Amino acid sequence: MLEYILAKYNFWIYVVLMMIGLYAMMGKRNLVKKLIGMNIFQTSIILFFVSIGVKKGGATVPIIMGDGHGHGQHLIQAADYLNPLPHVLMLTAIVVSIATTGVALATLILIYKRYHTLEEDEIMAIRKEASSYKTLG
Amino acid sequence: MSEQFPALIIVVPLLGAFLTPIIGWRYRQLCRPWALMILAIPLCASCETLLEVVRTGPFSYNLGGWAPPWGIEYRVDYLSGLMLVLIAAIGLLAAFNAKPGITMDIRGKESQFYTLLLLQITGLLGIVITGDLFNVFVFLEISSLSGYGLIAHGEDGAPMATFNYIIIGTIGASFYLLGVGYLYMATGSLNIADLAAILPNLYHSKVILVGFAFFTTGVAIKMGLFPLHVWMPDAYTTAPGPVSTLIAPLMTKVAAYILIRIMFTLFQPEFSISVVPVATILGWMAVVAIIIGGIKALAQTDIKRMVTYIMIAEVGYIVMGISVMNRPGLTGAILHIVNDACMIFCLFLVIGAISYKGHGREIYHFQHLNKKMPFTMAAFVIVALSMCGIPPACGFFSKWYLIMGTIMAKQWIFSITLLGSSLVNGVLFFRIIEKAYLAPPEDGAHDHDPEEEDIVRDEAPASMLIPILITAAIIIILGPLSGKIIAAVIQHAVPAAF
Amino acid sequence: MKNWFKLISWIAVIMTGALLIYGIHDMPAWGDPNSPANAHVSPHYILEASEKTATPNIVSAVLADYRGYDTLGETTVIFTAAISCLFLLRRRGGKK
Repeated sequence: MLEYILAKYNFWIYVVLMMIGLYAMMGKRNLVKKLIGMNIFQTSIILFFVSIGVKKGGATVPIIMGDGHGHGQHLIQAADYLNPLPHVLMLTAIVVSIATTGVALATLILIYKRYHTLEEDEIMAIRKEASSYKTLG
Repeated sequence: MSEQFPALIIVVPLLGAFLTPIIGWRYRQLCRPWALMILAIPLCASCETLLEVVRTGPFSYNLGGWAPPWGIEYRVDYLSGLMLVLIAAIGLLAAFNAKPGITMDIRGKESQFYTLLLLQITGLLGIVITGDLFNVFVFLEISSLSGYGLIAHGEDGAPMATFNYIIIGTIGASFYLLGVGYLYMATGSLNIADLAAILPNLYHSKVILVGFAFFTTGVAIKMGLFPLHVWMPDAYTTAPGPVSTLIAPLMTKVAAYILIRIMFTLFQPEFSISVVPVATILGWMAVVAIIIGGIKALAQTDIKRMVTYIMIAEVGYIVMGISVMNRPGLTGAILHIVNDACMIFCLFLVIGAISYKGHGREIYHFQHLNKKMPFTMAAFVIVALSMCGIPPACGFFSKWYLIMGTIMAKQWIFSITLLGSSLVNGVLFFRIIEKAYLAPPEDGAHDHDPEEEDIVRDEAPASMLIPILITAAIIIILGPLSGKIIAAVIQHAVPAAF
Repeated sequence: MKNWFKLISWIAVIMTGALLIYGIHDMPAWGDPNSPANAHVSPHYILEASEKTATPNIVSAVLADYRGYDTLGETTVIFTAAISCLFLLRRRGGKK
């Protein structure tokens, strides 16, 4: 049982992180906390992807060291270097995550200008009052 | 030249979007003709591509010359070609329609508006044409981000609705990315055609199962399938007029396209029937979506919110067509994607015209609209006929195939739900038509001064009226043409196993 | 009302967590050099990238050459986010 957990412990860690992020996104009532939860969630996915590409047994970073002049490189073997593809994909995913956070923060500025609070319960109360005002008049 | 068309379809709007802020900085009035000119090119290119596919069959285009699965490929087949033409056409008409609505809501920022519009269309076109799973994610995020920016500029509740949409939409896209990760972990490839060859040996693997579950959930969030539709009513109601006209017909349909790709191209259909009972689950969720969408639509007095709930029910139709897993059902679902996009687009155009002319959005204030805006209301009647499934409008034909599919699968409850929903649609639209056409005249009006009480004809401006008339004409023309479309395009898009 | 939200989020989190843990069973062990992810497409990148693209850094070669289209999409994402923020935050009558 213990070896079972230890052989794949990276996956257990990322599951825990992801659940923390998901709970923060859905269960917290402060808008900034939701945003932080979104970041944690996306970070856990990035960790998951990067952990797929690891190779034990002496693999090194996927940069091929020549002798500076382009020739005389040693014979390249696939088992010597890490898997480059997940790193590539996750560079894009990190950028997407930052972009989404940026747009969400701009939206939060608009919300704050309008309602002067960032708690979702207070905002719902203000909106309910405003809409009941409308149906009266 | 024509073999470069697939690349042109994406590159032209992309470069156009990059250049629009520069043009708008100097000459703000030039943004609109520039955007229209840029959008006309993907329309021509996608029509040409669809004709090419019909003539010679599906083809691939390798980006940068690298062979798949090491490089990215475009894969244009029947379904993609159809969706490309749909997105390009609706994009062009929506950009044409946008001008009066902008001067109302977003004065002074036209260059950014047109940039985001071009980026949205680029994102949607890119999702449809690509054959690589991670590429779908990148373009999904492009279209989502531009959608967030466009929607947040609406009425009073728009920033809050946008924030909810951001949170829920990001959950959806992240689930999709997680699904890609699981599939990559189990197979090592990201290319759809390559995966379709490797996956059948791995159907018993739990990793593939969980990956499929996350794919479907993520796409269902983006599509607005009940119970994951909670972001949709607020976001599309509070968005500005021209924005909801662009995003609402297209985003859900493209997500439905992704679902069809996952369930029929990536995984073979028998995965969804025998290994995991996904088809049954989706079917029942679709039934609930149709019922709840109809009930909530009946309760609304704001016409834009009512149409949003109708959209939720329409998504239920498409998913029901997918879930019955037979040829008429899937044909009906694909045909309904095309028809429903046109119908919802026309509805939002009409709503935009009515609210631009100052009549607001409450149903009970729509008296005498047939005299004030005759062409607009005529188009509205055509759309209403199509929604209820009355020939020769196109809605009848897609509903016919859907009902045939449910009968063939012996799911009687599904058929009854479809028929009942047509009835509910009839009630919904007849309310409005009655108010607009048949409202009794004002009391005691015609005894006094006739000139004073004359109802002035105050039709919508040309840039709103022309797309309305074109779309209404398309809805009528598409009806009898459905047979030809099915024979030439859709029946090859349905997998041969059915 | 508050408790209802928290209950729904707990249920969703537990269900998703259970699904994820169910999936761990069939996953390859961490760092296995022969897992499908490390054995199917990437050896080609490692073996060929340095000659074909004249770049010693394989990640850059894949990012900018083999999958350069994804990088174009990523640049567009940044651009979209920038224009969205500009659209939302500029006050009316700011410039021109």
